[in-house]
Amino acid sequence: MDGFSRIDIYDTKGIEYLFVIGYLLALIVFWRFSGKQIAFKTQIKNVLGILTPVNLKIPQGLFFNRHHTWAFLEQSGLARVGLDDFLMRVTGEVKYTSYKNVGERVNKGDLIAEIYKDEKRLKVYSPISGEIMLGNSLLDDYPEIIQENPYDKGWIYKISPSDWVKETQSYFLADEASKWLAGELERFKEFLTGVSMRKYASEPSMVMLQDGGELHDNILSELPGEVWNDFQKEFLNFSQSES
Amino acid sequence: MDLDRRNFLKTLGFVGLTFTVGKSIGSNDSATTDIEFKGILFDSTRCVGCQSCEYACAETYGFPEPEDSPVPGIIRKTDENRRVVVNAFETSKGELYMRSACNHCNDPACASACPTKAMMKTDEGPVIWREGKCIGCRSCMISCPFDIPKFEYDKPNPKIQKCRMCYEAIQEGGMPACVSECPAEALQFGTRRELIEMAKTRIYTDPENYNHTIYGEHEVGGTGLLYLSPAPFEEVGFRTDLGNDSYPELNKTFLYSVPAVLILWPAFMLGIYNSIVGRKDNDQLAKGGQS
Amino acid sequence: MKNNQQTTFFQFFLQEIKPKGKVFTPFNLISGLVVFTALVILVFRFKDGLGSVTHASQELPWGLWINFNVITGVAFAGGAYVLTFMVYILGMEKYKPIVRATVLYALLAYIFYAGALLLDLGRPWKIMNPIIGNSFGLSAVIFLVAWHFILYMGSLFIEFYPTVAEWATFKRQRKIFASMTLAVVIFGIALSTLHQSGLGAIFLMAKAKIHALWYSEFIPILFFISSIFAGLSLVIIIETINQRVFRNRMSFKHKSAHRSIILGLARTCSVAMFVYFTMLVLVFLHGKNYSYLSTTWGYWYLVEVIGFVLIPCFMFLQAYRTRNLLLVRIASFVAVFGIIINRLNVTTIAYRWYDESFAWPTWQEVVVSIAVLFVQIWVYTWIINRMPVYNASPEWVEMEEKKESITINKKERKKWMVSAE
Repeated sequence: MDGFSRIDIYDTKGIEYLFVIGYLLALIVFWRFSGKQIAFKTQIKNVLGILTPVNLKIPQGLFFNRHHTWAFLEQSGLARVGLDDFLMRVTGEVKYTSYKNVGERVNKGDLIAEIYKDEKRLKVYSPISGEIMLGNSLLDDYPEIIQENPYDKGWIYKISPSDWVKETQSYFLADEASKWLAGELERFKEFLTGVSMRKYASEPSMVMLQDGGELHDNILSELPGEVWNDFQKEFLNFSQSES
Repeated sequence: MDLDRRNFLKTLGFVGLTFTVGKSIGSNDSATTDIEFKGILFDSTRCVGCQSCEYACAETYGFPEPEDSPVPGIIRKTDENRRVVVNAFETSKGELYMRSACNHCNDPACASACPTKAMMKTDEGPVIWREGKCIGCRSCMISCPFDIPKFEYDKPNPKIQKCRMCYEAIQEGGMPACVSECPAEALQFGTRRELIEMAKTRIYTDPENYNHTIYGEHEVGGTGLLYLSPAPFEEVGFRTDLGNDSYPELNKTFLYSVPAVLILWPAFMLGIYNSIVGRKDNDQLAKGGQS
Repeated sequence: MKNNQQTTFFQFFLQEIKPKGKVFTPFNLISGLVVFTALVILVFRFKDGLGSVTHASQELPWGLWINFNVITGVAFAGGAYVLTFMVYILGMEKYKPIVRATVLYALLAYIFYAGALLLDLGRPWKIMNPIIGNSFGLSAVIFLVAWHFILYMGSLFIEFYPTVAEWATFKRQRKIFASMTLAVVIFGIALSTLHQSGLGAIFLMAKAKIHALWYSEFIPILFFISSIFAGLSLVIIIETINQRVFRNRMSFKHKSAHRSIILGLARTCSVAMFVYFTMLVLVFLHGKNYSYLSTTWGYWYLVEVIGFVLIPCFMFLQAYRTRNLLLVRIASFVAVFGIIINRLNVTTIAYRWYDESFAWPTWQEVVVSIAVLFVQIWVYTWIINRMPVYNASPEWVEMEEKKESITINKKERKKWMVSAE
């Protein structure tokens, strides 16, 4: 100091270099560690909820189309239409908006309703063509009926069909419907672990399916809006050839 | 897998390093020494050019005796066979004799430049060269502003030759050979502090006969050799343009930024890599999917 | 199993050592003569001391071996860190065909120039001191440079080893070393930044001895930036030469990409030189060196800076714009020459410019300097003629890479696949 005894302006160099070496090794670890996102487990809301084909209620007499809406011809000649149980169980608690009023004409494939949870929406298209005779007023006051009782009290419109036979020719009925729904479940599982998830996670994240890989209820409700859009395209939209 | 391997190899390499560096880190602790630097005061008003110092040094270290004498107009330099020389100068204050040898700087450039610590500033003050560590790179010669270290180019086992202020003698309480042999008491030995006070006293008490600077008090951060001269120092062959900052400070900015670069560059590059190449991969994965 | 592999590798190696093609080409004869002479000179150097074969003096302690082979030569090896940055970090696939050759050149350059450094050391038998001894001169820039050389050689070796493994059919080793590439490239770039600038920093304490036009506190930065275009210019020259000499080994894809590669490098050089010139101006302004311009040294400075930096900068630019390969080659020679001049200025010519201590190097120094280059070229050629530097990698490499990507994909898919059924 002040020119009378030992000075060494570089006396910390040794420690600094050792520290830097340690840092570089730690950086390798840190970088790899920071690159992996933790498995993204979906929450279990419904203790009961294990969706298997056996669980899904598939009543007789209903015509199911590929886009998870159904139509049932009542004795009166009016057709009841609604959303199927599969759709309701994978989306969970959603709200409902109807788009058509009584007296309006509707064609097969037209937008008739929307179900949504916050910002995430799914559009529902009509399975048949005809004139809207009745909307389900119960849904205004008790929207949860659409989930609890999708095939009975949870119908959304009663339509006077214009071309019932032709339009429902390709639809599924009874046993066929059961088989088809089982297939849809598989397709949904693949959908979940497939392209959609990859696109919307910043790193391929793990969507863990528990216990032998069965789906829980309300899976979609946890997932981001983009997945809903993909689901819409994959499962609910009518292709050009159909409408 | 690769992580472990890399880790292992690096750790293996650096275990050795830690054992060795560990020692040197400890020994570098500067704040604890209370020992003050020793120095030599050379007073040109007393020097008669008798070269006793040269003979004493040659005798102590086994060099051949000087064959030439100081003559004005010829600059004699130290070389691999002589560590101290006296030169004569014609100045505005008459003929003066000036000693030239290692100045034993407070913060020596040579010691800072030496990659093996062969050149070392001892706690006591002398800057010494240690044969066992020198690799002969001659960085000390490049860095010394006074061009003091000399190399034995003609020997297969070359050494660096330079005044070492008779370090062994000093450690035993003695004084350098040149100082004890000077008949005119032109050389004084003591702590640097004492010598500066002595020099200042001489200047104050005899202001006409001295140039009012002690060369080495502040030059290059202060040197262990202090010089008094009647004439301005440019006239006696000294460089007065060296500044008052110690020479190792010139490296400071660079050396201080080395660890910073080693920390910042990899992080920066990982970021660039991820944003360019990493994204390409992710996109491919998203599109390609099934392979 | 391993023993079997060892013996077959040994036999393989013995077979590979045999020269391919003519042994007594003109180049081999001349270089052989030079190298032989150099070896004789080196015997004298070690027997009688450095002074017997060099003009190193107390005033000028460093001669051609350090000032040229190390300080200038290493600048030219800078192509490796720039190119690996462009290919592995920036993902510029365009330069991939020349990466291996450039890394090889740099690896050999560092090995041989560090070797040349050993020749210039007065007491090289003590070289282990700063490496494993307890005498780390941590405050010395040379210490830092030496260590970085060692670490960087290791990095370059790891970067190059996959090529060696492909040649020797070491499948597992190839995989291991290839996975380390990114880490080692990043480390190498950080190291290169520091030791390229470090070569300049060595002279920071020679403030009193170097002419003001070449000395500044910015020497390290200037050396670093100039190493970028020095390295790339040499890559251009080497690539141009190799296109002729190793034509038969290059893939069609490489040959057809040659023009695009050269032009791309030319453009990069031009930008780097422009930045370098700007830095020179900045340093000039900062140091208030205006009065020096009218001296002889000033004229020499202008020749270096304008003639050998600014002019080739624009030559590269013009060559890129008009797609003129010949102009690129001329410009790279000018740039290379400029770097040599600059480095020699700082270390020798403008060093102790004020006294008459300058001495031309001895013929022995020149011979040994050139001999080092020749031996480097020999090893370089030997390796290129055998290993998949330009040659296509053996077929099993593609299979291995496919296997690796399948394994990676499988692991990815497994994460998301439903484990049911």
